[in-house]
Amino acid sequence: MELLKLEIVTPEGVIFDDEVKQLTVPGGEGEFGILAGHAAVVSLLTSGVITIDRKDGREVQVAVNGGYIKVEEEKTLCMVDGAVALSGDDTNLAKNIAKAKELLEKAQASTLTVAAAVSKFEGIKK
Amino acid sequence: MANLKEIKRKISSVKGTQKTTRAMKLVSSAKLKRAEEIATRSKVYASKLTELLTEIAQKMQQGNEDGIDNVFMKENKNPKRVDIVFVTSDKGLCGGFNHQTIKQANKIMQEYNDAGVEVRLSGVGKKGIAFFKYNQVEMLNQIDDLSGKPDYARSKELINSLVEDYVQGETDKIILIHNGYVNMIMQKVHTQQLLPVDVSELGLTDSVATSEMEVEPDDDDTLLNALVEKYVEYTMFYALLDSLAAEHSARMQAMDAATNNAGDMVKKLSVKYNKARQEAITTELIEIISGMESLK
Repeated sequence: MELLKLEIVTPEGVIFDDEVKQLTVPGGEGEFGILAGHAAVVSLLTSGVITIDRKDGREVQVAVNGGYIKVEEEKTLCMVDGAVALSGDDTNLAKNIAKAKELLEKAQASTLTVAAAVSKFEGIKK
Repeated sequence: MANLKEIKRKISSVKGTQKTTRAMKLVSSAKLKRAEEIATRSKVYASKLTELLTEIAQKMQQGNEDGIDNVFMKENKNPKRVDIVFVTSDKGLCGGFNHQTIKQANKIMQEYNDAGVEVRLSGVGKKGIAFFKYNQVEMLNQIDDLSGKPDYARSKELINSLVEDYVQGETDKIILIHNGYVNMIMQKVHTQQLLPVDVSELGLTDSVATSEMEVEPDDDDTLLNALVEKYVEYTMFYALLDSLAAEHSARMQAMDAATNNAGDMVKKLSVKYNKARQEAITTELIEIISGMESLK
């Protein structure tokens, strides 16, 4: 499967820089997925969850509180104000989930978004 | 003998000062390391943001032959009122660090005043505020305790109030002045025009890729406005971080120089002390010898 390069940047620095299979992001006009070879696009991101399919098959969820995404041929760049990454092999997952929830609530996301995000997080636990 | 005692006192006083300056230097170098790290990490975000803004602006320019028609991009040729924001430190003892910023702010203010443009001044940091207060220059905003520990929410609050005035048409320009970090021994005063965003300065390049780029939401203004807002907020915040790193490097330098100077002074005073001591001994000897001579 073709991979695409993804970089996630927050004001605190680069938090993710790797090749991934696929990612799903909460766009300003609704959620959309990106695969390698996606057309160039720039979009607003709302607060929500970015789901990343890593090249080794593991799934990572990143809670974000809004920002931008720029998809280009050679790479995809996500710029977000704040992010909390969650993955299944994390030892303090519960703590991070709480952190992620707080981040979303602070971003004044609608309760629906928070609930949807939390249900996604629940999925990681199993 | 009074002279001897006096010199001795002076030496110990200078040594005391040296201890203080040396400690301050060490503290600053530790703080600098942290501030520098934060500033470099944020720089990635700042540069990516500028890049993205440039691309969007460029895309809009391609669609519009006669320049970009957006409130944040359109330059008012005859500005009536200009906002100047400067960033200085809260604490002193950092050499010419604050003075450089103040000088630049003064210079720009003078230029606009000469051109008959009203200038509104907003200051961050006690040192700069104190200067303009002393010179009885009126200030719109006076923000304390922000440059020592940059806080995104507070810097956002400040800049958003100015942006609001800009959008309302009350002001025509926002200029940001801060003394930025270059390396351990160098700082550089940056003067940026925050708004309107100077498209030419962003360095537009002709690339085919941008014209094919899709923008979502597809009316250009929504994204651009959000992006500009973020850009302005972040540039302001980055100026604070950059200024903090520069402040620590300036203080480190100043304290290093002070420690060295104190060392030199101790050396000089010691020589003086030894000379005075020798002189006293010689005088005493001469007195004894001449006394003996007179007894013969």
